[in-house]
Amino acid sequence: MTTKANFPAAAGSVVVPYGHVVGNEKWRGSEIAQRLQGKIKLIFEDGLGLVDFHLSNKICILYISEADLVAGDDFKRRLVRFRNANSLGGIVIVERTQISDQYFIAVQKLVVLELGMVLLPVANQAEASQLITQLVREQSKDHNSNPFLRKQCSQLLEPSVFRTVQQIPGVGKTKALLLLQQFGSIHRLCNASVEELEVVVGQTVAQQIHTFLCS
Amino acid sequence: PHDTVEKKAALCVLVDSREISSGADVISSLKAVHGVKVQVCPLSSSDYIVSNRMAVERKFQSELLNSVNRSKVTQRIQRLQGMFERICVIVEKDRVKAGETSRFFQRTQYYDGVLSALVQAGVRILFSSCQEETASLLKDLALLEQRKNAAISVPVEVEGRRQEQLNFYLSIPNISYLAALNMCHRFRSVKMMINSSPLDVATGAQVSRQKAEEIFRYLHHGCDVQLLPDSLCARGKSHAPARS
Repeated sequence: MTTKANFPAAAGSVVVPYGHVVGNEKWRGSEIAQRLQGKIKLIFEDGLGLVDFHLSNKICILYISEADLVAGDDFKRRLVRFRNANSLGGIVIVERTQISDQYFIAVQKLVVLELGMVLLPVANQAEASQLITQLVREQSKDHNSNPFLRKQCSQLLEPSVFRTVQQIPGVGKTKALLLLQQFGSIHRLCNASVEELEVVVGQTVAQQIHTFLCS
Repeated sequence: PHDTVEKKAALCVLVDSREISSGADVISSLKAVHGVKVQVCPLSSSDYIVSNRMAVERKFQSELLNSVNRSKVTQRIQRLQGMFERICVIVEKDRVKAGETSRFFQRTQYYDGVLSALVQAGVRILFSSCQEETASLLKDLALLEQRKNAAISVPVEVEGRRQEQLNFYLSIPNISYLAALNMCHRFRSVKMMINSSPLDVATGAQVSRQKAEEIFRYLHHGCDVQLLPDSLCARGKSHAPARS
């Protein structure tokens, strides 16, 4: 099955030890590698194929340099091949420089909108190493510390229900409270007969509520 | 190349009213260049809505460079996570003010940290150099969502009785403007909506099954008025009859 592909996207699963980054052998001695030293534990491996760095068993980085962008469409084939072959989350880091800027819009469209991958621009390898450092830190953090994830704190629904009932025309705070005391839930209130409502809020408002709910 | 195909169904994007001042060129470009139907609404929670499930936040690069705006940015995204299935942040280059030649972008560790956290939280990120480019990205997103059958497909103008209904639905916790709008148009009456099963809610409001169940639970929640903060109902409480 894989005879056709010169580069397996990722030969089997790469095991990334906790707190480490596994880098493609070709990056040994590069500026990124040098700058990552001392910040994260980088180990090199052969045979990573299309992938440049594995941040974890699930997330990896594909690096597109200015030269790749200028050289033509090879990088696109590489990305598509990666996407088709992998269930790994791919983060594409792309060098956006004065020279490669003209390609950026098209690359972003391909990577993010068509392939559904993540794209992060950097100006050079120095910026890339800083970004990779942060990506690794975020990876190794506790999931709950992510500020952009919804905190599952169960809030009291009562104030919201009270507010919702007041959205019915003719119902203010006092009547909302009386209605909730009598019927308990929005669902029960909404299924009350006009007669039942009349006892609580009087004829006019009862009719108003009925009209609002049923029209 | 596929422009003729793309123009078949009119794309629609909702814009928060505050964007009129801060993103005037985004709005005009969406209309004039891309032929998108733009409806300005009091969305408040997000800057744009491009489909039944996707909200888009527009942030200047400078807002993400340091922690000055930290709580504002995180609170908004957190809130959107509770309302929408998909969230996208468009990071826009700051405008060069008159007199400045070009603004030097000094990348910070904080900025990389924010990007990393957004990626980890499953938020999509797009980069734009100007308002016109942002408009183009919004159109692309709306188009992509349309292809996935998530396009905004109900009338976006609301008047009179529908406005009252909309306000009622919008008071449901963590409901998106679009889910409320869908409810207005897809349920014959408020009563029908409230009596719907979670599955009907999901279909009518075009929300996930999980969200529909959350809405269902809310509508059926037995409210204990004793738990209402006094500040909310001080006046009513004193002479309210005992609960029967």
